[in-house]
Amino acid sequence: MSNHIPVLIIVLVLGASFSIPLVARWRKTLIFPAAVTPLAISFGLSLYLFYLVGQQGAFSYHLGEWEPPWGIELYVDYLGAYMIMVLSSISLPVLVFASRDIHHDIREEVVSWYYTLYLLLIGSMMGIALTNDLFNLFVFVEISAIAACGIISIKEDRKCIEASFKYLILSALGSGCVLLAVAMIYMITGYLNFDYVAATMTEALSLYPYNILIALSLLIVGFGVKSALFPLHVWLPDAHSSAPSPSSAVLSGLVIKIYAVALVKMLFRVFPTAIYEVVPVLDIVLFLSVLAVVFGSIFAMVQDDIKRMLAYSSIAQIGYVFMGIGLFGDRALVGGLLHIFNHAMMKAMLFLAAGMIIYATGIRRIKDLKGIGVRMPLTMAAFTIGAFAMVGIPGTSGFISKWFLALGALDLGRPFYVAIILLSSLLNGIYYFPIVVNAFFGSKIEPHPEHKDVPASMLIPILLLAAGVIFFGFFPGPLLDLLEQAISF
Amino acid sequence: MEAMLYEMLPLWVSLFPIFMSVVIFAVSKRSEKMRNGLSIGTAVVTFFSVAAMYPSIAGGGVIEYTIFNILPGLGVSIRLDILSFSLAVLASFVWMLVSIYSIDYMSHEHGGDRYYPILIFTLGSCLGIFMAGDFFTLFIFFELMSLISYVLVIHEETPAALRAGYKYLIMTIIGGLALFFAIIITFELSGTVSLSAGTLITEPGTLPFLAFLSFLIGFGMKAGMFPLHVWLPDAHPVAPSPASALLSGIMLKTGAYGLLRVLFQVFNIPLIQEARWDLMLGILAVITIILGSAVAITQEDLKRRLAYSSVGQMGYVILGMALLTERALVGDVFHIFSHAIMKSTLFLAAGAIIWKTGLRNVNDLKGIGKQMPVTMGAFTVAALAMIGIPPLNGFLSKWTLSLGALEAGLPIYVVVLLISSLLNGLYYLPIIIAAFFGGEEHEHGHGHEHGHEEKEFALNVDEASYGMIIPVAILGLSCLVFGLMPGNVAFELSIKAAHFLITMGTP
Repeated sequence: MSNHIPVLIIVLVLGASFSIPLVARWRKTLIFPAAVTPLAISFGLSLYLFYLVGQQGAFSYHLGEWEPPWGIELYVDYLGAYMIMVLSSISLPVLVFASRDIHHDIREEVVSWYYTLYLLLIGSMMGIALTNDLFNLFVFVEISAIAACGIISIKEDRKCIEASFKYLILSALGSGCVLLAVAMIYMITGYLNFDYVAATMTEALSLYPYNILIALSLLIVGFGVKSALFPLHVWLPDAHSSAPSPSSAVLSGLVIKIYAVALVKMLFRVFPTAIYEVVPVLDIVLFLSVLAVVFGSIFAMVQDDIKRMLAYSSIAQIGYVFMGIGLFGDRALVGGLLHIFNHAMMKAMLFLAAGMIIYATGIRRIKDLKGIGVRMPLTMAAFTIGAFAMVGIPGTSGFISKWFLALGALDLGRPFYVAIILLSSLLNGIYYFPIVVNAFFGSKIEPHPEHKDVPASMLIPILLLAAGVIFFGFFPGPLLDLLEQAISF
Repeated sequence: MEAMLYEMLPLWVSLFPIFMSVVIFAVSKRSEKMRNGLSIGTAVVTFFSVAAMYPSIAGGGVIEYTIFNILPGLGVSIRLDILSFSLAVLASFVWMLVSIYSIDYMSHEHGGDRYYPILIFTLGSCLGIFMAGDFFTLFIFFELMSLISYVLVIHEETPAALRAGYKYLIMTIIGGLALFFAIIITFELSGTVSLSAGTLITEPGTLPFLAFLSFLIGFGMKAGMFPLHVWLPDAHPVAPSPASALLSGIMLKTGAYGLLRVLFQVFNIPLIQEARWDLMLGILAVITIILGSAVAITQEDLKRRLAYSSVGQMGYVILGMALLTERALVGDVFHIFSHAIMKSTLFLAAGAIIWKTGLRNVNDLKGIGKQMPVTMGAFTVAALAMIGIPPLNGFLSKWTLSLGALEAGLPIYVVVLLISSLLNGLYYLPIIIAAFFGGEEHEHGHGHEHGHEEKEFALNVDEASYGMIIPVAILGLSCLVFGLMPGNVAFELSIKAAHFLITMGTP
């Protein structure tokens, strides 16, 4: 039984996704339990998987007992187990938040579809994290692209439709790039399984260098668009800010990261590392990441809509992840990968907090948030913790990932990148702190008759994530142990 | 058992106030009396807990242990030696008096429910800085203190306070990031940031220089060093007076404390001399001294004048470090004591005057000495100490600093000290003279509006309540006591701390 866990996690979530419309026909009240139970079980299983991989190392699972290279293979390595854990631990509180929040954003008839799309998205991302097969990867990438568009456009207002259409076009472009790259790799190696491709790649490199280079660049562009690597980020601010808040939380927290992880797998497991000494692919990624880190923050500073600001901040933060990849050193990569989890926690929490404010007061403009902390002290306290983590105040998880990234940069003798990280932290402070300050000090806000009370089912997920930000700021040990294994491809 | 108890004390003194601040916050909703009582109680208990560590530290003992590791080589650890003890005892002493003073001062102000928990929390984080056993722990508490004390700065919530607070916040972030840079370079070069590991960086180079520069920015910003002092004259005056006393008296010193640790424990004396960083530090110190004192003369607002004076005085402390001799360090550490006591006296006295009269402009304070003799008496003693008149503590620290400068063969620094004393005289003496001898002409005023106001004020004002004048008087007396007897506790501690630093810094 226990060796079926990898596929069980994915099938459970995907299966639940498809059964929810049926449940909705039967009994409306059961939709939420039907959605949250499989996710909770998969969270439990992911923790077990985390433990299992820590104990016995990476292992693979052959779907339907078909041996590779013919069958689809799931490969649970350290990175995969880590990502599964990240996905399930973040998506669970967000779903709980959504169960309350979503009703004020979308029509009652489509609520059940929201759960379907949500679980579909999470399930497909779990597939991306575990699959060891190129074509299977593409399939999951497509599923998640469609599902992600779905949970944006479900709000059915003009802005959302427009944003999701923009997202759909660019995301389809990315998928096309990925498909082309997969086809090219298949053409020259004859395999789709990562390990088999990697084994023949070194030989193929001398025979078909251009094909491999084109495949590599297509992959970087494809996944770059999907993970909003600067300057391919143009779809993100609209999509993430107009979507319902729980959607924004998973989109910013998880969806853009999973493509970065897919890229890491391709770059370091499939392609031979010798190629990076010849072609400055990683330097280009590094350069773009620097631009992302700086410009993402600068764009965020001039926003006056809180969710748009958070969206731009995500562009900067994904820059850190790519910086970890581009620096091409052990500690830097650990920092980048760790930042996936840390940022997922912070940004999901910040989006949920923003969603909470919008839910309770309807305020979206940063200027109007004056005094909100007096009315919603716990929500804004969580927001404050998130802001501290964004700046990298020690004692929050944001500090740990920055510490590793900076150490990684110093290891490679590139203190310039440390300066970039610090500059971006300063910029983060400049746009996050005034919100916090205005929320708590300087003005008195009167309780507005239209303002709703803060429901516990929305507050608890936010507080849990906030506690996580603090906890992993002091005890990142288990994650780091796993990640240090994960980067030895 | 008893040894264990001593071991726990450093942890206790930093965590107890932090814990109590939560309790105070919880209590403040129910009873104002209990809130005030608990605040004073916490500060008193903390002071005596710090003082109780004296026997184990005075003999040269060091308490150090690691609480837990976050990453290999990076953890939260405790270290208490003579230098940290000196600052901790000073901080908790002043804090105790300020807490007592606050009760009456804050009774007319809004937001007491926020003020007291923050006041006590800041005490805990400030002591945490001194108790930290490595730069990472120090950094955590440093950031905690800097960010939390923001609430003290903007307590009044006026637009001016918020503007000053914004400046303070941005400078704090910059300082924090600079420290991050410095600490990570130190960690990269030596594999540890512990204070118990001897000299961490021994070779000069680009990275060590970057580390030094970043440390200087991080801690120098907090210490109000030129050109990073810009936040200080705005932030200190807008805070409530007891908070200004702590900001100027104690929290500036955390920057000086950090710099002392950096100069003698991250680097060592030969390295600093070889790289000529001492010259850089000296020049910055001279500019800070002259600038702070000169600008103070032009300030009309009493608290703003005091704030600029703090900039100048912190220049002395930085100068003392730059000299790198044992004698100068004695003067340096002793000046940390002296300035903390003098400046908190001045701010508390100014607070009492403002509280009673609402007057902040130095020109309006004519004749105030007759109405509030105790307050103005303490103010006078502290101001004279600032100028460096014997036998007050300010004289002793300047004397020792000058001796140190001569020993180091740099008499130019003595000249700077003298010029600065002259400037100090120029802005403190007029206040004192006007307070005691001015004001008669107004009392026999010719009935024009201004004179009329003065007359009214002269009639109405008397001494502030005992809760306020007793702390002021104690601090004022301390200025005298610590100067009159060179064999006092503060001076002894300074000698030991200076000796400790020199031995740490000499390989």
